[in-house]
Amino acid sequence: MTRSTRIMLSVIFWAFLVYLFVPLILMIVMGFKDSKFIGFPIRSWTLQWYLGVLQDGQVLRTFTYSTLIAVSSTVVSLIMGTWIAVLLEGRKFFGRAVILALTLLPAIVPGVISAISFRIFARFLEIEPGMLAIVLSHAVHNVPFVALVVMARLSSLPQSHIEAARDLGADPLIAFLRVTLPYLRPALIGAAVFCLLLSFDDFVRSYFLGGYEPTLPVLIFAKLRSGMSPEINAISTVVLILTAVLGLWAERSSRKMQKGA
Amino acid sequence: MTDSPTSPVGAPPSNTPARPQGRATLWGRLGTSPGYQRMVRFLFASPRRQFWLLAAFPIFWVFFTHLGPILQMLNVSFMESYPPSVNNSQAYTLASYERFFQEPIYRMPFLRTLVFASVLTFATLLITYPVAYVLARHVKRDNQMILLLLLLIPFWVGEIVRTYAIMILLGNNGALNLLLKTLGLIERPIPFMYTGFSLSVGIIYLTALYMLLPLYSALEKIPASYSEAAADLGAGAWTRFRRVTLPLSLEGISSGATLVFLISTGYYATPVLLGGPSTTVFAETVAGFFHVAGDEWPTGAAFSVLMLLTALMITGAFMRVMKYLSARVVK
Repeated sequence: MTRSTRIMLSVIFWAFLVYLFVPLILMIVMGFKDSKFIGFPIRSWTLQWYLGVLQDGQVLRTFTYSTLIAVSSTVVSLIMGTWIAVLLEGRKFFGRAVILALTLLPAIVPGVISAISFRIFARFLEIEPGMLAIVLSHAVHNVPFVALVVMARLSSLPQSHIEAARDLGADPLIAFLRVTLPYLRPALIGAAVFCLLLSFDDFVRSYFLGGYEPTLPVLIFAKLRSGMSPEINAISTVVLILTAVLGLWAERSSRKMQKGA
Repeated sequence: MTDSPTSPVGAPPSNTPARPQGRATLWGRLGTSPGYQRMVRFLFASPRRQFWLLAAFPIFWVFFTHLGPILQMLNVSFMESYPPSVNNSQAYTLASYERFFQEPIYRMPFLRTLVFASVLTFATLLITYPVAYVLARHVKRDNQMILLLLLLIPFWVGEIVRTYAIMILLGNNGALNLLLKTLGLIERPIPFMYTGFSLSVGIIYLTALYMLLPLYSALEKIPASYSEAAADLGAGAWTRFRRVTLPLSLEGISSGATLVFLISTGYYATPVLLGGPSTTVFAETVAGFFHVAGDEWPTGAAFSVLMLLTALMITGAFMRVMKYLSARVVK
């Protein structure tokens, strides 16, 4: 490779990193600006926006609501994703390809269409717009990811472990609970955090399926439509930091466990 | 899994033989309790029963909750009115589909969305390919992991927060205008916002990692020795890229482009916040039918079906072509 190509490649590489991180850094910085007006330059600094957010009852309530939705939908996704993965991995049966395709279907339907189809489906089931409808749509959207991650992990589980447990008298249920499930732990932790983040940060499904109570992204969207303000920066920054910490922690612990296993 | 209903079910785990029976572990006690044994004998009586026990609910789940919403959307799209009028039975009609082909105001956002998504997919590929290449080839193994983690952080943050970050970057008093002004390149701020430009910057910002990660994993799998062998045979850098690296990364390109195309057609909040009247995408058109009372739902459903089918057909055809191309490489 010539010198100039190499320089060009590294310029593109660093420019991309700048593109990825500078907008977020600017957003964080702007949350400390002592003025209601979003824009540069920044002349004086303040913490008032953060203090305001911590005292804002609506923001805190919305935060709890979004967390509740994220946790509930993650539990459903984990159970169904694992169940489907155990059914599909290493087993041949008539119609397996169809089940696999249907499992992955929610992952390829564009967001807005998925949201609308669930809006129609919720009405068909006579579910009012609100938490139940949002949880169902988030859970379905996340099942393909859980199934894929768990299938990948299952494929590396030595069949002899299960056989050994069965030889020692474990029935299929106990063998699953005491051998398979502990083996899946790193995959499940990784998948759980991924689902939590996807659900917590989801906008389009929560927007179309929500009732009067907004989730956090829907609240930010509503605030943005009535104008930018440093308060939104403060909320977004808190979300960003929580997201990053949770994500990094999950990566680290699932990587550690995978090494140990 | 072999089935052995007659084997002693649930004997205490092997690592506790010395313990007296009464202090068996919880698992042991559960396994030896007669009620549990009866249940297990019943549940796992035959391989067939075992299979259905495992399969019945997942099969119901994927048909009902994964396919159900799409089928119901299709159903509603053929309805004359929704909800069905009270006194008579539901009438089916093609009127909602005809409306799309007869009224030209819907055609523009539809085509714009497809063209936009295609162009942005290609742009994302051009931007992220060199990045994935550098990451897979020129960065040390340990640093690769750290950098990948770092790249994941913006990816974890949702659509709204990242869209807002782009609004701050591109606003009239935004960082980019400030930078250009400080450099003396402009006197008045350039109105970047609410144009195709701001929307493109935002969408690429949201989708770049869906392209980058498949590209990275494809490029990382190509052994460095392939390029070296080509170099020994006298191939120049460009030829090596065109004849070795690019063909072997086609699979990554194919899955990355498919993902980005489908995802970018599905954004709603980003076009609303970053786009303007000249960039209305189909997601906004469709959403409009659901903001009003139920009577427009069949039209919204029909338009969604058209969008979904077109998007899936385009990606299907694209993947076909890519498969054909990579098959030719292997020969």
